[in-house]
Amino acid sequence: MKIEDVVCPFCGCLCDDLVVQVEGNRVVNVENGCTLANEKFMGDHRLETPIRRSGKKWERISYDEAIAETAGILLDADRPLLYGWSGTYGEAQTIGVHLAEVLGAVIDNTSTVCHGPSIMAIQEVGHPGCTLGQIKNRADVVIYWAANPIEAHPRHMSRYTTFADGFFVKNAFRERKVIVVDVRETDSSQIADEFVKVNPGGDYAILSALRAIVRGKRDIIPPNVEGVSREQLFRVAEICMAAKFGAIFFGVGLTMASGKYKNIRNAIELTEELNRHTKFTISPMRGHWNVYGSNEVFTWITGYPYAVDFARGIAFYNPGETTSVDILRRGECDACLVVASDPGAHFPRACAEHLARIPTIQIDPHVNATTHLSQIQIPVAVTGIDAEGTAYRMDGVPLRTRKLFQGSHPDDLEVLEKIYAIVREAKG
Amino acid sequence: MPGILIRNAFVIDPLSGVKGEVMDIAIRDGKIVEEASTDAVVIDAARCLTLPGGIDSHSHVCGTKVNFGRYMSPEDMRAGRTARKGVMHVTSGYSVPTTFGNSYRYSTMGYTTILEGAMAPLEARHTHEEFTATPHQDMLANTLFDGNWSIMEAVKEKDVKRAAAVVAWTLSAVKGFAIKLTNPGGTEAWGWGGDVNSIHDQVPHFGVTPAEIIGTMIQANELLNLPHSVHLHCNNLGVPGNYQTTLETIGLVPDLNRDRQSLYLTHVQFHSYGGSTWRDICSKSEDVARAVNNTPQVVMDMGQIMFGRTTTMTADGPMEFKLYMLHHNKWSNHDVELETGSGITPVYYGRKSLVNCVMWSIGLELALLAKNPWQCLLSTDNPNGAPFVKYPEIIALLMSRRFRENERKMIDPRTEHFVPLFAIERELDWYEIAVMTRAAQAKALGITRIGKGYLAPGAEADVAIFPLKPDEIDPSVDYQQVMAGFSRTRYTIKRGRVVARDGEVVVEGANSTIWTRANVPPAYDMSSDPEFTKKFEQYYTVRMRNYPVQDIYLPRGVRIDTEASL
Amino acid sequence: MRVILKTRPREKPRIPIEAEEIIPQNFLRKNDMKVFEGNKERTLEDLFFVTIEGPAVSPDQVEVVLTGNTGMIKRVGEYMNAGRIIIEGDIGMHCGNFMSAGEIIIRGNADAWLGREMRGGRILCEGNASHYCAAGYRGEKRGMRGGIMEVKGNAGDFTAEYLSGGDVIIHGNCGDLPGVEMRGGTLVIGGECARPCGNMTGGTCMVFGKAQRVLPTFRSNGSQDMDYAGKRYRMNLFRGDVANRGKGTLMIRA
Repeated sequence: MKIEDVVCPFCGCLCDDLVVQVEGNRVVNVENGCTLANEKFMGDHRLETPIRRSGKKWERISYDEAIAETAGILLDADRPLLYGWSGTYGEAQTIGVHLAEVLGAVIDNTSTVCHGPSIMAIQEVGHPGCTLGQIKNRADVVIYWAANPIEAHPRHMSRYTTFADGFFVKNAFRERKVIVVDVRETDSSQIADEFVKVNPGGDYAILSALRAIVRGKRDIIPPNVEGVSREQLFRVAEICMAAKFGAIFFGVGLTMASGKYKNIRNAIELTEELNRHTKFTISPMRGHWNVYGSNEVFTWITGYPYAVDFARGIAFYNPGETTSVDILRRGECDACLVVASDPGAHFPRACAEHLARIPTIQIDPHVNATTHLSQIQIPVAVTGIDAEGTAYRMDGVPLRTRKLFQGSHPDDLEVLEKIYAIVREAKG
Repeated sequence: MPGILIRNAFVIDPLSGVKGEVMDIAIRDGKIVEEASTDAVVIDAARCLTLPGGIDSHSHVCGTKVNFGRYMSPEDMRAGRTARKGVMHVTSGYSVPTTFGNSYRYSTMGYTTILEGAMAPLEARHTHEEFTATPHQDMLANTLFDGNWSIMEAVKEKDVKRAAAVVAWTLSAVKGFAIKLTNPGGTEAWGWGGDVNSIHDQVPHFGVTPAEIIGTMIQANELLNLPHSVHLHCNNLGVPGNYQTTLETIGLVPDLNRDRQSLYLTHVQFHSYGGSTWRDICSKSEDVARAVNNTPQVVMDMGQIMFGRTTTMTADGPMEFKLYMLHHNKWSNHDVELETGSGITPVYYGRKSLVNCVMWSIGLELALLAKNPWQCLLSTDNPNGAPFVKYPEIIALLMSRRFRENERKMIDPRTEHFVPLFAIERELDWYEIAVMTRAAQAKALGITRIGKGYLAPGAEADVAIFPLKPDEIDPSVDYQQVMAGFSRTRYTIKRGRVVARDGEVVVEGANSTIWTRANVPPAYDMSSDPEFTKKFEQYYTVRMRNYPVQDIYLPRGVRIDTEASL
Repeated sequence: MRVILKTRPREKPRIPIEAEEIIPQNFLRKNDMKVFEGNKERTLEDLFFVTIEGPAVSPDQVEVVLTGNTGMIKRVGEYMNAGRIIIEGDIGMHCGNFMSAGEIIIRGNADAWLGREMRGGRILCEGNASHYCAAGYRGEKRGMRGGIMEVKGNAGDFTAEYLSGGDVIIHGNCGDLPGVEMRGGTLVIGGECARPCGNMTGGTCMVFGKAQRVLPTFRSNGSQDMDYAGKRYRMNLFRGDVANRGKGTLMIRA
């Protein structure tokens, strides 16, 4: 069976034009997808049943047993952490937040290791952005800052920017200038009209310098700022100010460089400054396909996009304190539920070690690095393949992923609802 | 369910012609009925004021922009924090509370229906997701068409029917309720960082004017026989001297509908400024109110501002940028491809700011100068003028000249030179307040047809009982009591169920989303229109098939079907 | 009155304790003080051996002494408006949040957000302070607004972020971006730091050690001699940050 207009559950681009060929309960071919998408659909090798660690071995257990034990562990904990959420859909994330409320847990999503700093910056100065189609149809200048879309978001350029013809930009490749700013050459920098090579950790100074130039303070700029010549900075500022519609995209390179969220803040303030002269927008290149959805769901229920601590009953938020990496590094939490992400692969070593010390339960379709740190793993259907639900694209556009076939696993929502029911019952 | 019998209620039910009578109300199966069943639960209202459930006809509570207001404002979340308690979820926030926070606070104030003022069609799914997390009110979504390319092309071609067809397809696809125009043409111009400055300015590239967009959409709305009229946020919001734009706009409106207005003007306070700069801004409420009084085919809502901090948010992207330039506070913007824009910035309205004092006066003046309460509805454009929790204070100000005089002493003393407020003696009565907070909304939105806004048999059993005894208190003196009473119902009943009591929400709630489907002849079905679908696939970044909001997002959807006259 | 709180051994010593009720004024009248250990509510006696010596009739006569394993205790001294708190060892995050008067003395190190949004009074940390010392809260436009913060050791990154009033004196080194977004008040850094005062719009910052990677958007404004704490120093003057309004003063020892 051939299914059209399938939404890809890999990265934040959420391409929705895939054509997927399904035989039984297996995807056999994907058209229009990038290599990352193909791997996601085709290289899908599931864990079959829930498993529990028993000494040095794993034993198979039933779903009911796994769910009951998970609920018991969470109820016993004094500082449980519910982490992940980016790889599942909104309806499941909603139950996750309600579970955290009842438990008095900390709930956090993968923003903590990617665009958390972008969120913190937005909370200081706001976010002049737009949907991706606005850029496709209008932008004559696009800047990728510390982002390498060719590798991480392979279709970003062809669907939304460099190669995407739009209503006002009929021939994008010719009419649209692309500037890449990075600490090293990348595949993306090679197709740029202008490549700005910055010293590692120098982004903040470069952004400050550009802001000063746009404010008319050229005289203050020294001949060289963090490896970039004054002339190039002037040229970049001129390109931006002459643009009819400019768009900055930034990647984790900027959020994780020294200064972290202050880099993003500076980039946003540059964008705001440019808006006094022309139209400019800025957008984070969100990684996990539905990480933005987890931010949205957390926000409408708790008021905060990530790192929410319910220990005191009310919602409290303070990145650096309530973020999972920090909680794990300090060894605070005494139980952890991981849903739809792989902290074992992405967290610092000290954090992974703490996960291994405490009872960690993972709800995830696949055996991954976190499996090796867990006590229990509950396999589920993959959202976008055999489960459907809402996901938010990196620019906030919500889409409904498709269920391509009826698989044999329950989905995240079913498992979480059962845990939630047990916990609610126990809490009265 | 056994039903409810409310005894001894002091009822004001304007749509049924009840202007304050002590009577009983019987409820069964979610409806008002002639007679209660014998096992009905009896509530003794003890001659307390009993009204149809409150209806907010213009509020921003759900969707992309509202949630971004939350997302960017952890400082706002430091207020209004409550822990999970009984059936109530955790809440946070003051000006942009969490969805449950909004829902609980509205419910304890007796509100049972809310219209979300602005939904971008492309992001409609988000609005609907938040609707289901606002469980104590039935929800409706104004759908944005102000910068819609297909609409502007139809306007350019002077093809009203095609415009109507685009509206019909879009409302049905995104499960929207009515047509919203926010700064028509201005949001498209903002795509290039510009704006339009009068209703006769050309929209860049599209070669149409706001006046043409407004005129065409009013016609299209009536061709589709939609329950509500076009809902307009005029051009030039917040600009000194903008009352001229507002008067010109009112002058455009034909009288096309027997049952309701032909144009709904929202948050008119923000559109009634005289002067030419912030230094000489003054009230033009008298001119605007006179125009409204002389134009029965329009209805407005106040858009009252109240002193204190809040967060402004609107689809009017260029206006928010201007506000950012004025205050240098944080600013977010979110343009939506082919459709509209939006912006957010926090503000503080201060009693020490003359401009803010003038704005505060204008809203009240509009309500006091509008002769017919059915033409001026109470609103703050929540949260733009103030969070909706300020409604009781606004009611008290409208009902008490003494309260207004006391406030006069607290504000910038120069204010009185710029506004007529303190010369106005009128004090609104209970009936007028009932009109301005529920009955007129139901009529203006056209939802009496589904039983909203009144208490006669057959109506939805949405009822608010306030701890106020109209035969014992004098609102012009006891305004503090009025304020307290409207802040917290004794009972809020929604679809026949007590949902809130004395400020506490007592059940989990299960709301409905009300939407409209205008049935058009096949020739006007845009889903098979080659040009429409081709442009869609070319310029949007989502596939047309993935655009419509699936039924699953409306677990208790209520569809109003109309037959288009095309 | 002297209140001595000595921590009791805990089964899970890494779980943070939140103890905003530990402020001098509460010991005058409260006898059912609650503290939280993770998501569990406890009494003060559950977690501390409590000794009270002598009487007091007003909060300024109350001195609270915390000893033992105090490094995971958060929010001690929050909203304090009189009296004194002495912490014999380390203290957890948010010590002295919003304090308006009184004194806190920390003999050991302080974790992050020491004196967050402080309005008055004095905090002395004899050891090191972590990140966000004398800073603000997410999304707010003002951090510390008044009072004196003195750290004998080093402070972490983002020290005095959003400082808008009062004095912050760090005798040792600061991390990255001290005084970032600063808009008022005075920040003194005895040792080294990196990228001081990014985006500052007001206030004064003095750096007596080496300032690494000074941002290019500070305008040199000559140099002058200055007396500070009884000594004379030659200071290079800068105005900035011109990426923003540029009304702040940065002085770096020549």
